[in-house]
Amino acid sequence: MSTAAVGFAARRVLRGLLTMWFAVTVTFFLLRLLPGDPALAIADPGMTEELRANLIASYGLDRPILVQYWEYLVHLVQGDLGVSFRQNQPVTTVLLERLPWTLLLALSAVVVTVAVGIPLGVLAATRARSWVDRVVQVGGVTAQSMFVPSIGVLLLYVFGVTLGWLPIGGAIDEDVTGLAAVGSVVAHLVLPCLSLVLIQLGSYVLTLRTTLIETLGEDYVSLARAKGVTARKVVWKHALRNALLPTTTLMGLQFSLLVGGAVLTETIYAYPGVGRAIFEAVGRLDFPVLQGAFLVLAFTVIIANLLTDIAYGLLDPRVRTS
Amino acid sequence: MSVETATALPPSESTAAQTWRAFRRNPLGVAGGLVLVALALVAIAAPLLADYPSGSSDDVLVGPSAGHPLGTDDLGRDVFGQVVWGTRMSIAVGFAASVLAIIAGTAIGVAAAYFKRLDTALGVLVDLSLSLPVLPLMILIAALVGPSATTLIIVIAAFSWPEVARVVRSQAMTVMPQQFIAAANVIGGSNTWIIRKHVLPGVAPVVVVSVVMTTSRAVLSEAGLSFLGLGDPDNWSWGTILHNAQQSGSLTTAWWTTLFPSVAILLLVVSTTLLSVAYNDARNPKTR
Repeated sequence: MSTAAVGFAARRVLRGLLTMWFAVTVTFFLLRLLPGDPALAIADPGMTEELRANLIASYGLDRPILVQYWEYLVHLVQGDLGVSFRQNQPVTTVLLERLPWTLLLALSAVVVTVAVGIPLGVLAATRARSWVDRVVQVGGVTAQSMFVPSIGVLLLYVFGVTLGWLPIGGAIDEDVTGLAAVGSVVAHLVLPCLSLVLIQLGSYVLTLRTTLIETLGEDYVSLARAKGVTARKVVWKHALRNALLPTTTLMGLQFSLLVGGAVLTETIYAYPGVGRAIFEAVGRLDFPVLQGAFLVLAFTVIIANLLTDIAYGLLDPRVRTS
Repeated sequence: MSVETATALPPSESTAAQTWRAFRRNPLGVAGGLVLVALALVAIAAPLLADYPSGSSDDVLVGPSAGHPLGTDDLGRDVFGQVVWGTRMSIAVGFAASVLAIIAGTAIGVAAAYFKRLDTALGVLVDLSLSLPVLPLMILIAALVGPSATTLIIVIAAFSWPEVARVVRSQAMTVMPQQFIAAANVIGGSNTWIIRKHVLPGVAPVVVVSVVMTTSRAVLSEAGLSFLGLGDPDNWSWGTILHNAQQSGSLTTAWWTTLFPSVAILLLVVSTTLLSVAYNDARNPKTR
């Protein structure tokens, strides 16, 4: 790796760390400065004044805010997100059990979106203004406009309830091992994953279509055509490579939307990820879990963005220099 | 002579009139606009269209029928009434949140473009805000403050302005280098006067599109929060109807409890998208 590439990666890592610090700080001050008092939420109304004071002291809520902020940062660096109000378990333990499921769901949704989106985008761009193109465009706009739980419920009702092809809740059957376990995980993953794919696919295909049409008009593409390169090779080898850059950047920006979608999808399908933990914590007013879940999801998004950025910077020299 | 030349030329049309004429020729845009007007009318006329669904009755989970055109839910409440009153709540919260977000976003976007010293700081703030997963953060705050219509409006607005600020800033950046801004500076115009007279009219078109798109995104956010149980407990909204279907388990047995609120959300979002695409096309001389 050249020094330029190392410098580029270092700058991106620094920016990722800055974003993490921002997320942490915003959360801390919002929670402390907002009207709601987290101590009141755990304190029983019938509690004596002394008990209440003890409780507040045990959470460190009686000290100056900057001291609290510092301690909060120190704890966070050690991976300590506090204790769940209701489950009497460290928040980190609760969430780390859930995180792999959310990662599995989100990653599989990204992979399927790209795998289906690229051929669809190429099809629409190379047949611009044909009926295929119009169908893709109208479908894209409609899919983009759907409310995530609506798609989730629709798929659940059709494929889970009416046809009975796929399970409608959970992530794995009990008492399965080996290959049967893998099959069970995949079967439970299909519907939630498909719900997330449908909401992302529209903007992915529409962006790829627009940039690919632009790229196909570039001089170097005409040159390749003039040299006698086959039409298929011009599209897939020459134009697509350049059109994928803005499309991938968009994917990166959409990670935060994807995570929001995952929270709603996991709720519909009782999928045991971080999103479902959020839904359960809302019902129990378990603020440490809500706060920890936001930070875990924010860090996931930041790291995903960072990896996309660096991978693309290494592949495409234009990104490094800009 | 000169009088004749003047009358020979067609009277020059204002840009607004040209935009309107081009917009009217776009059937999808007009359809989108009509659907939005219809939804707004339903929201305003809700008390005339249906009784507020409350209490319970014995007609539990009845499918669409003469008495209940959209069926009833698990407590025997009329789904048609829920969707009608939900339209009122969803649009009111979405629109109020959008107006707040537009005011804040426009102020910050214009400030960033106009005062060069603020640009970097505001740009970093907007970038950072846009790179965080907004829904989990809204959930955290709404849960802490306690669910109500006001909470929803403020929380949604608080996380919708960065998008507006980014769009307004980039539009304001194209206005700034214009000579009339420099001229206004030279004749000693104050900053507020220049911004009011020259910069704001320049960004007005993108603000108009933003109102529509931000409202639609705010309605989706409201639906998301309500679906998770953070809606205003005293009012029906589209998200609340879905939340009840999820909580009672009727979403697996009674399709009408989820289909109709979903269709309402879809109608609103699709029509706002069509409307703003048509407006953008009509405004742009190249696509007019």
